[in-house]
Amino acid sequence: MNPKSVIFCCSWSSYPGLQLSESLYEDPGKQNNIIISMCSGRVSAELILEAFNNDAWGVMVASCPNEKCEHDANYKTRRRIILLQKMLEQFGIKPERIKLEWIDKGEAAKLKLAIDDFSNELRKMGPVLSIN
Amino acid sequence: MPKPKVAFYWCASCGGCEEAIVDLNEDILKVVELVDIVFWPCAMDFKYDDVRKMKDNEITVAFINGAIRTDEQEEMANLLRKKAQIVVAFGSCSHLGGIPGLANFWDRETIFESSYGKGCPSVDNPDGIVPQTVSKVPEGELTLPAFHNTVKSLDQVIDVDYYIPGCAPPPYLTMKAIVAILSGELPEKGAILAPEKTLCDECSLNDSKPEKISIKEIKRISEVISDPEKCFLAEGVICMGPVTRSGCSEEGDGKCISANMPCRGCFGPPPEVKDVGGKMISALASIVGLEGEENMSEEDVEKLINQIVDPAGYFYRFSLPTSLLRRKRMSNPAKEDRYNG
Ligand code: SF4
Ligand code: SF4
Ligand code: SF4
Repeated sequence: MNPKSVIFCCSWSSYPGLQLSESLYEDPGKQNNIIISMCSGRVSAELILEAFNNDAWGVMVASCPNEKCEHDANYKTRRRIILLQKMLEQFGIKPERIKLEWIDKGEAAKLKLAIDDFSNELRKMGPVLSIN
Repeated sequence: MPKPKVAFYWCASCGGCEEAIVDLNEDILKVVELVDIVFWPCAMDFKYDDVRKMKDNEITVAFINGAIRTDEQEEMANLLRKKAQIVVAFGSCSHLGGIPGLANFWDRETIFESSYGKGCPSVDNPDGIVPQTVSKVPEGELTLPAFHNTVKSLDQVIDVDYYIPGCAPPPYLTMKAIVAILSGELPEKGAILAPEKTLCDECSLNDSKPEKISIKEIKRISEVISDPEKCFLAEGVICMGPVTRSGCSEEGDGKCISANMPCRGCFGPPPEVKDVGGKMISALASIVGLEGEENMSEEDVEKLINQIVDPAGYFYRFSLPTSLLRRKRMSNPAKEDRYNG
């Protein structure tokens, strides 16, 4: 079974590279749903929960590194994700199923690698247990 | 003209919602003048069979409080749905799953283990006997309702027409709802009979919030002497006001806020909030450790966030079964056979 994941990419840093990288767009199994957000700051915790509610195996957020965020939101994103990981653990969902990656402009290769790594980790973990 | 018939019923309930009806005080006499109470097991002697014998839709309105945890509750909810024209989910447990819904962090197996098994130090039960739906005794068969693995809100089991929020609902909202129903001035089906603004919108401490809040430390209410003039959140005490519907008190300020306690969220989310936990995470992440964020290491952030001791329990105190994730994922699905005879 292919892992089902949702990858949120920032439209300032990862998206331009993503447009150029054909290999990322070619996703025949459609296991990675790539969603472009205006900024990682706009990826609300509710949105990530919604992904898990829709049977995602994992969610990755690609955000600009440190001072590079246009909206000063990446630090908030980091705190949001750490708190979300802590809360999801209480729901029996492993914190490793949410990943924050700092990806700068022109780092399409790094993004591709991060997505591949994440998919591999998710494949090892399998789907989230269903509600009984 | 015969008086409209009203029923009250409790499911997985603490009894506080029944108390909330009694809290109508003298107003209850007005209600009794206007209606016939045809079923109210907590206060008056009725039998389930009395309801079974009624015609479909014979009851004008049934107020059901409590969450759904057992077969008996599910059966009664279905029965009342059939017999009543209008069903009102009354109180947080019925509306959102409520405090009993926190049991969704466990399952039947683990709950029975902690109540009847080795997990409970005051229980002496060497044979590990747990409740059975059917037990054979010399006199015949004894039955108990089956205990579900997952607690549900009322609308996860039957169709619900209206909701009155609160743990327990304030009498003024209950009275307003009764008057609206009896006068036929009903809002759209599915409406929550309470204001739509958030508690913060109505809170007199809101003005004390600085424009930019940055919290260096998260404190539990038991660890501080809180300043009654200051917003809890700005002081580092988690208050659910930003993600909670207002209306628990007629005066505007939350009931708990007036008692110098942070809001715990019993009124549930206002319309724009899809998931109180998710929304609260976003709200907290934007103010916790904001100042000097660029100089914080991953470890610093983790240390700060770890001060929020039990995020899921805190955020979903009243609403776990109706949250987006609904319950904890458990690797050990309940062993149905062991409990269901
Ligand atoms: S809503 Fe509150 S008062 Fe009502 S039954 Fe539930 S716990 Fe008790
Ligand atoms: S966070 Fe709490 S104390 Fe502060 S304004 Fe909102 S309801 Fe009032
Ligand atoms: S302040 Fe919050 S927890 Fe307290 S009664 Fe009002 S809504 Fe409920």
